[in-house]
Amino acid sequence: MFERFTKGARAVVTGAVAVAGREGAPAVTEEHLLLALLDAEDTGAALALRALGATERRASLEAALAAARRRGGLSAVEVDALADLGIDVARIVARVEETHGPGALAAGSDIRSRSPKRRPFTRESKKVLEQSLRVCLGRREKEIGDEHLLLALTARPGIVSEALADHGVTYTAVEQALDRPRA
Amino acid sequence: MTDATDLAEQAGDRDPRVGLRAVAALRRLLEQLEAVQVRSARARGWSWQEIAAELGVSRQAVHKKHGRH
Repeated sequence: MFERFTKGARAVVTGAVAVAGREGAPAVTEEHLLLALLDAEDTGAALALRALGATERRASLEAALAAARRRGGLSAVEVDALADLGIDVARIVARVEETHGPGALAAGSDIRSRSPKRRPFTRESKKVLEQSLRVCLGRREKEIGDEHLLLALTARPGIVSEALADHGVTYTAVEQALDRPRA
Repeated sequence: MTDATDLAEQAGDRDPRVGLRAVAALRRLLEQLEAVQVRSARARGWSWQEIAAELGVSRQAVHKKHGRH
């Protein structure tokens, strides 16, 4: 699959690994892919993200992701599902933080990696890479560009696509931005 | 989503998807809570054996899951 990646898409993948490395994260997540996409310049994804105003709202996007991490990486959809069961996630987070300190749930099981040489992609972020191939095929395009990675990110459920959607970056919006003739 | 479909969804809240989604979310929350508690116990010097006994799982299981990072 990777042989079909453009230079830009490869740069995003290696960029995501680098971001994870800087954070000392044990694995490369969808968030790292998004941050690497936001770093891109003059690529399909960069143009779409800029056109949708996401590039300049990076701080807000990062804040939304941090908030989701703080509640254990649960998406708003998951929080709602738990509320239906009578489980108040905000309250649980508050109680856990009271005892274990701010951001206790954000750390999750991701204790800092002691072997930074091996930094795998999480199951979810691998699925994004796989989805980018399907998106590319669906659009009848030959090479997997970073715009396909962006589209794949918006298409997968979870905190990243939710944060993106809250900032106007949905699958449809990205497609429209990509298909708009460039001046 | 339109109000009509919203209402339809609410009316059909026996939809298995709602329940399954809640279970999946609960499992994720549980995993996070377990990680917090295991880290805390380790920081207080608990052995894997002691932690495993409280969690009701084998020492190997808890060590495999939380030990090597």
